[in-house]
Amino acid sequence: MFKFIFIKELRDIIQSSRFTISFAVCSVLIILAFVMGAQNYLSSKAQYDAAIQENRNQIAAHTEWMMVEHSITLPPQPLMTLVTGVSNDIGRNIAMSGRGELRAENTRFNDEPIFAVFRFMDLEFIFGIVLSLFAKIFAYDAINGEKNRGTLKLCFANPLSRANFIAGKLVGSFVGLSVALLIPILIGCALLPVLGVQLTTDEWLKLSLILIAGILYFGVFLAITIAISASTVKPSNAFLIGLVVWIFAVLIIPRTSVLISGRIVDVPNIDEITAQKNRYRTQLFDEDRPKMSNFQLPEGTEIENAMTAFQSFMSDLASARQEKIDVFNARLNEEYSNKKRAQEQLALSLSRISPTSVFTLVTTQLAGTSLNLQHNFMDEAYTYQNAYADFMQEKTGSNRSSGFRMIMITTGGDEEEPEPLDPDELPQFIFSGQSFSEAAQAGMIDLSLLILFNLIFFGGAFRAFLNYDLR
Amino acid sequence: MFSLLLQKELKNIITSPKFTATFLVCSLLILISVFIGINEYENAVAQYQANQEIARQNIAEATSWGRVRNLLHREPNPVQIFVSGVHFDVGRLSNISDYNDVKLVRSPYSDETLFAIFRVIDFAFIVQIVLSLFAILFTYDAINGEREQGTLKLAFANSISRAKYLIAKFSGIWLGLIVPLLIPILLGMLMLIAFKVPLASTDWLSIISLVGLSVLYISLFIVIGILVSAITRSSSLSFLLLLVIWISGVLIVPRLGVMAAGQIVQVESVAQIEAKQEAFQKARWDDYSAELTEVWQEREAQMEGMSDEERTAYRDEMEWTWLEEDDASRKQVQSDIITNNRRLLEESQNRKKLQEQLAFNIARISPVASFQLAAMKLAGTDVGLKNRYETSMRLYKDDFSEYIQQKEAEEGGHGGFNISIDSEQGVQIDFGRNDQTLDTSEMPQYQSPELRLQDTVGAALFDFGFLGVCIVLGFGGSVLAFMRYDLR
Amino acid sequence: MQNSTIQAAPLLEAVELTKVYEDGVKALNNLNLVVREGEIYAMLGGNGAGKTTTINAFLDFIQPTSGKALINGIDANALPLEAKKHVAFVSENVQLYPNFTAMQNLDFFVRLGGKSHYERLDYERALHRVGLQSEAFDRKLKDFSKGMRQKCGIAIAILKDAPAILLDEPTSGLDPKAGKEFTRLVAELRDEGKAILMSTHDIFRAKEIADYVGILNNGELVAEKTKAELEGVNLEELYVEYMAGYMDEAPVSGSLSNNLS
Repeated sequence: MFKFIFIKELRDIIQSSRFTISFAVCSVLIILAFVMGAQNYLSSKAQYDAAIQENRNQIAAHTEWMMVEHSITLPPQPLMTLVTGVSNDIGRNIAMSGRGELRAENTRFNDEPIFAVFRFMDLEFIFGIVLSLFAKIFAYDAINGEKNRGTLKLCFANPLSRANFIAGKLVGSFVGLSVALLIPILIGCALLPVLGVQLTTDEWLKLSLILIAGILYFGVFLAITIAISASTVKPSNAFLIGLVVWIFAVLIIPRTSVLISGRIVDVPNIDEITAQKNRYRTQLFDEDRPKMSNFQLPEGTEIENAMTAFQSFMSDLASARQEKIDVFNARLNEEYSNKKRAQEQLALSLSRISPTSVFTLVTTQLAGTSLNLQHNFMDEAYTYQNAYADFMQEKTGSNRSSGFRMIMITTGGDEEEPEPLDPDELPQFIFSGQSFSEAAQAGMIDLSLLILFNLIFFGGAFRAFLNYDLR
Repeated sequence: MFSLLLQKELKNIITSPKFTATFLVCSLLILISVFIGINEYENAVAQYQANQEIARQNIAEATSWGRVRNLLHREPNPVQIFVSGVHFDVGRLSNISDYNDVKLVRSPYSDETLFAIFRVIDFAFIVQIVLSLFAILFTYDAINGEREQGTLKLAFANSISRAKYLIAKFSGIWLGLIVPLLIPILLGMLMLIAFKVPLASTDWLSIISLVGLSVLYISLFIVIGILVSAITRSSSLSFLLLLVIWISGVLIVPRLGVMAAGQIVQVESVAQIEAKQEAFQKARWDDYSAELTEVWQEREAQMEGMSDEERTAYRDEMEWTWLEEDDASRKQVQSDIITNNRRLLEESQNRKKLQEQLAFNIARISPVASFQLAAMKLAGTDVGLKNRYETSMRLYKDDFSEYIQQKEAEEGGHGGFNISIDSEQGVQIDFGRNDQTLDTSEMPQYQSPELRLQDTVGAALFDFGFLGVCIVLGFGGSVLAFMRYDLR
Repeated sequence: MQNSTIQAAPLLEAVELTKVYEDGVKALNNLNLVVREGEIYAMLGGNGAGKTTTINAFLDFIQPTSGKALINGIDANALPLEAKKHVAFVSENVQLYPNFTAMQNLDFFVRLGGKSHYERLDYERALHRVGLQSEAFDRKLKDFSKGMRQKCGIAIAILKDAPAILLDEPTSGLDPKAGKEFTRLVAELRDEGKAILMSTHDIFRAKEIADYVGILNNGELVAEKTKAELEGVNLEELYVEYMAGYMDEAPVSGSLSNNLS
């Protein structure tokens, strides 16, 4: 019995004009999302390569490590092709210095606001907004439409149990629609290498988990819609209720949870913290000022070594100051980031009421474009800072925290042309994204939540139909 | 006859559960969006004030004119409550100093990435996505639904002209949808007053124009709905067609326009431009070093053959002149760098403008893009926001530098350290003045770029007109289609 | 007809069937009726008289408040899946699946009815028998007229080959020719030995083919006549009389006596 209903459901879907039109639209959208995403990724990649190259050129043009203004750049994540996440919203460049605070700047949208106007359309958006809407359109009359057509009565004039019917209906429409969706998706995946996006095995694995999450998410909306259809009499009412649910899940819950968490956890204004840090820094500098004025060359210093002596004096002072600043700032930063993370955690947990945000969270997590991208980038930049500081110490004898421009005027005779610097000597910044198993572990909770949502709403549809008035 | 039809249409809408549900959802959405908008605006104001505080501190703590630098912050604009536009994407503040060019950094989204995940919803977003969807929901079966119910035949069994019927239909739906929408919008405006958002009269004008624009936009979707309903036989087909139109109009065309323009007009990335600027800067300073070395060698050459006392005397005599000479050429270098930087920037900005123009014109194939662009223009959060601020900050920077230089000249000191290494006297360091604070009362004050009416409402006029033309065309089309509609 | 020696076992039987809805409306009141092999029982009555409720009770679409609906002796509400093996159903205004062709609709419903051994030829034969043109077999149902859809519905019932058939207003909305054809088919099925319970508004057609005619009003069976009893009687007058009489609450006893005969 289940089999007949299942096959009937598949056939009913495939032969409807509703399916033909929406399948065509979805396919176009999905393929477009792949193409536009690849385009977007490639231009980010080109910008990244250019930034790295320019940085190397800049180093090579110098003859003194002291003068180098090194910056590191966040490489674009290949999976941002499909799940943009926050990758366009976070700073990509960090001007390196041997110590002190680092700040990532040059977000893609700040650099190119034109793309911020309409934003990008990625696969996550297509699933989150468009496909969930299509699930509504497909299933809003799944039960009550059959009732209106009289087919429900005709079916149940046969020895058919309700459980079989609803199970066949749910599984049939789920399989039918998701297999149909998989066609353009798989074509898109096959297009990726052709479009120039090369993925590693790990990334392919992540991508397949993203797709599984997408299908699960689609299943949630399908089940919700069928449950609504099994609890209402008129299809038009079912559609309306479905639309309201959709608006709540997609638009309202995620944003209000951010709003609510902002109310509950009070995170201080970041600029006020900056002001506090500034005050402290100036205060320390003022304290050091008299020491600087009273600087005397140690007895018996050769004049040629005067500059070096002065430098090491300044550098010692600066180091002492910086140490205090570092402690102070670290405390402030930690307090701030603890509060901020608490706020984030709360907001994200609250938003998980909505399957849409669960989906967003799991896909960004897997694609490496979640909030963690920013955290990881900063963490790795600070790790790199140590290597950089060591390197600079070795090359210049100072870790360059004073930052003044020196103009050497030699009044002596001609000197040898100094050698240009070799950028390869500098330790390289390598941003290591998450491995598949890390990403999968991080996304596990949300993935299970999606499965749970499916079970709940499938169960809900089941229950609703068992009590459905067939007349 | 007309009023009877109109009444029927109104009743039909207002008594339907569809209406109750959509009205409640829309009201909730609009109020939430205004609330979020006000919240974000207040945050932005707090940041703005904190930054002014930082700037004041920095200036107050500077002990020499050379160390004075300013920090400018983009001033939040209350209309962004309704249309956030690119506000969250564009940097908020820029350092103003002699050594760095103006550059807005630290966009609100990059500071508060949490908001970037789900994005902020604003009034314009709700109108653009949700209300247009609702407009479709109310019109997809306007004509063919009546045919399916058989009421179309019944109505035309009486002596009614088709044109009159259609106009009554449109007016009824229009009144039934727009008037209730105005209720939450008005409540939203009351919220502005309740939260004491400071609004100038031009802001009110912008908001009112925005409401007008939204009404036009929704009317367009009503017209499109009626048109599609009048050219199809079954309401299920027209619903699907309308959804396809909605998806392509709202989601696809605008983004495709931008993508296409990005492909056609290539613009160098900011990093690339900065690299070019840096390269020039470095080359220029290297030249300067070489030049200076030469000059000093020349000066040394002039002292050739003098005795030590003569040398010292000559030096003391010439010191001031030399210093001035060196200083002049240093300033020349700086101004060369600035000129070059600005030239490069201007070139890239021109290309960007070209790209934007192209992108937006392609995007305008869809009236949705037209609405969004006009709404952003009205709120002053359009794509030109960053440029506008950076340009005005650059102008300020010129004034600021001039003021600082003048002050420096008056004080006669140089900024920063002055270290002289001499074979006789050893190393001497002059930190400039370090006791009193500076009198900065005459320092030029930064004025945010003023948004004049012609920049907001004026710039949006084209899109207003475009939407109007679309409505007229759509309505004409539906009249034509309905004239030939097969009533059976 | 009334001869007990040739009387077969009842295939459809309502025993004191009563249905009271939650809102207190009495849809069926103590209804008793029996349909045996080779008989057509026609239920007459106005809208809301309880005809469709009776059929719904046999199909387990409603749970009767008291009494039983038996199909082939099986309680349809206690063992619905078992009972429904023995009954076919044609509803009023069958729409079927609009995106399916006639063949696909047939195939689905017939398999659902437990007959999976049929081949295309069998379907074609059945569709021919109900008078559908061959060129329509592979067209989607959304392009079908009401009559054509009804023909598909009866073809499904024929193919299910169940001993009992329930027809809910089968001729409503059909043109006279289609109605006549339909009547002929139903008579054929009766002659094959099916027990047929139909509800109808069509007094003349009921008189023409029914072996029993039951008149329902407000959920009660107010009269039951055999074909023989109706011979030469103006059924329309009788119908109106009973309806009117029922309003006056007069001839209830008469109806009961009829019931018992």
